[in-house]
Amino acid sequence: MAAAVVASTARWVRVRAGVVEAARLRCQLGGSRFGRLFLLPSAAGDVAQRRHVAHFTFHPDPENRKYGQTQKMNLFQSITSALDNSLAKDPTAVIFGEDVAFGGVFRCTVGLRDKYGKDRVFNTPLCEQGIVGFGIGVAVNGATAIAEIQFADYIFPAFDQIVNEAAKYRYRSGDLFNCGGLTIRAPWGCVGHGALYHSQCPEAFFAHCPGIKIVVPRSPFQAKGLLLSCIEDKNPCIFFEPKILYRAAVEQVPVEPYYIPLSQAEVLQEGSDVTLVAWGTQVHVIREVASMAREKLGVSCEVIDLKTILPWDIDTVCKSVAKTGRLMISHEAPLTGGFASEISSTVQEECFLNLEAPISRVCGYDTPFPHIFETFYIPDKWKCYDALRKMINY
Amino acid sequence: MRKMLAVVSRVLTGASQKPAGRVLLAARNFANDASFDIKKCDVHRLEDEPPTTAVLTREEGLKYYKIMQTVRRMELKADQLYKQKIIRGFCHLYDGQEACCVGLEAGINPTDHVITAYRAHGFTYTRGLPVREILAELTGRRGGCAKGKGGSMHMYAKNFYGGNGIVGAQVPLGAGIALACKYNEKDEICLTLYGDGAANQGQIFETYNMAALWKLPCIFICENNRYGMGTSVERAAASTDYYKRGDFIPGIRVDGMDVLCVREATKFAAAYCRSGKGPMLMELQTYRYHGHSMSDPGVSYRTREEIQEVRSKSDPIMLLKDRMVNNNLASIEELKEIDVEVRKEIEDAAQFATADPEPPLEELGNHIYCREPPFEVRGANQWIKYKSVS
Repeated sequence: MAAAVVASTARWVRVRAGVVEAARLRCQLGGSRFGRLFLLPSAAGDVAQRRHVAHFTFHPDPENRKYGQTQKMNLFQSITSALDNSLAKDPTAVIFGEDVAFGGVFRCTVGLRDKYGKDRVFNTPLCEQGIVGFGIGVAVNGATAIAEIQFADYIFPAFDQIVNEAAKYRYRSGDLFNCGGLTIRAPWGCVGHGALYHSQCPEAFFAHCPGIKIVVPRSPFQAKGLLLSCIEDKNPCIFFEPKILYRAAVEQVPVEPYYIPLSQAEVLQEGSDVTLVAWGTQVHVIREVASMAREKLGVSCEVIDLKTILPWDIDTVCKSVAKTGRLMISHEAPLTGGFASEISSTVQEECFLNLEAPISRVCGYDTPFPHIFETFYIPDKWKCYDALRKMINY
Repeated sequence: MRKMLAVVSRVLTGASQKPAGRVLLAARNFANDASFDIKKCDVHRLEDEPPTTAVLTREEGLKYYKIMQTVRRMELKADQLYKQKIIRGFCHLYDGQEACCVGLEAGINPTDHVITAYRAHGFTYTRGLPVREILAELTGRRGGCAKGKGGSMHMYAKNFYGGNGIVGAQVPLGAGIALACKYNEKDEICLTLYGDGAANQGQIFETYNMAALWKLPCIFICENNRYGMGTSVERAAASTDYYKRGDFIPGIRVDGMDVLCVREATKFAAAYCRSGKGPMLMELQTYRYHGHSMSDPGVSYRTREEIQEVRSKSDPIMLLKDRMVNNNLASIEELKEIDVEVRKEIEDAAQFATADPEPPLEELGNHIYCREPPFEVRGANQWIKYKSVS
């Protein structure tokens, strides 16, 4: 699995004519008319090249010296670093999941078993419901449980444990018991070749459940700080890691532990005309859309990384929309019931009179995540740009 | 020079005519069938056992050989196409386990039902789909069995319910199919397969309970290839006697590398289920040569010596070949001819799979629901919609 990600991301670093070709095809999709678009056999020659281009370009943040010495790390290395710091600091911390002992299918736990022992980093059999239920038990008893679900797509057998047990433990026991020490990590999001069961983004399912926290980082620096905050946080947290960024995202990350507060969205770029909100990989897509808008339309965009999905930072987003008057939210998950609908609904409640145009949601289609159609499914920068243009001209 | 060419051409034409005559001549010298001793199966909660001898006719032998060889070549071809990046996504190969799919198919009727997990290419073939549709589905083309929308893990055929990506999720489905079989009273059974990794999933045990309680005609089959992805069975399971895991469900442990052993055990289990006595559990002890999927080299959790040992001592195709040749059921040349035929079929199928066009973009929105009037699938933004036709 990891090797496939390596191979594909290595190919994706090339930005070639394939992008233009794909863009031309995708621009034809815009418009409500049902287009008769067929993949021409003649295009089959450059299909291979077209597929090798990622839909985003990773934008690393400038080096942050506030937390001491930094080291060049990619996303999975920053996760390993965060877990290393946690296990060092907290003697009750344990990491468990499928295949975590040898390092994990995405190398997030490499070296931890050798360093901390097999009673603290251990494999579980293939049973997600068991993993999370077991994790809840570990946390209720006072230890820090860091559970790994191998892919977010596999989290559904554990859905009952998370929603009915973990989220409600404190509430139903009147604060006598809690499983705040539980953190669940799962690789999340599209990866170019994942198809139905290795590409899903289930944050919307869990957003509907009070009692848990959901966090999605956009980069290695963010991931380490947010993961450490999740582990410290006295509430059960789900930490989704964009798997496409495991190797593609490289940044300077502090070696020592540091904490990025949860439930605080970050304004990456100030602007005055449109607010763009996203999380995870999609942040990099909308950053590119913002620069495209500036060049081609002279539009100034305010880019916000939501970071924490639940509880989300309503104030930052609403303050921004009050300033700009237009909002576009983008995520890979399907449109209907996706988290953008919650944001959209709240913003129109809070900022109704400030809005200049309807809130635009650029999301995946309401279909299962396709295998062969992935490039057409994901909300790439062209679809976002198209929506932005229509919003500006509303 | 010209004389030499004439001689060469005469020899060659002569040679191409010879084999037919030789086979005709030789067929008369072949035995019609032979009886073989097969390994005794361990049983759990059963008084009877599957037989320890099996009769193999020449015709059956050639058929099993051809099917196993086709599955083997097809998987190797898929491996090749994957490395050429013509197949993408996830691909879980079945080579080494051919005796399981062929033996199981030989022990049941085409009207019986089969459901398995993601290592499904072999079963897709034995359940009746041509190789070209399987390879086209792997490459994601419109000629594929699921129109290119499913990929490696989602292949379906008549009475074959896939092809399921989520581990263990297919087992309750299998019990449901068995209930339908019982309800329809057509004397059909359902084979529900899963792996040694899935055997630790909770839903399997829920299914055991339901199947035993309602005496469903379901054979639970655990294909134990010793490794759940990269975890060996000793490290994953408290009890590696997978055939006993059904507890109150009788079980048999079968040598999954011997096609005759699998066939006899399947016939035994099928007869048991058809008689209304309830479900049965079969553990097939088998081995896969490739890694878990194409991104797994397959050697970080097991040694190359182990793989080599299984290949040289227990390869299912080799076992069948030796049996047939040593007992005068077929000649080596005949089997070689079958190999050539199979190779050609696979080449043609690969050619088709590579050249076939991809499904049209309209398919993106199709088949979400059943037979609704065409509706619009909401898409990337309020101005992009796809029509969904079901």
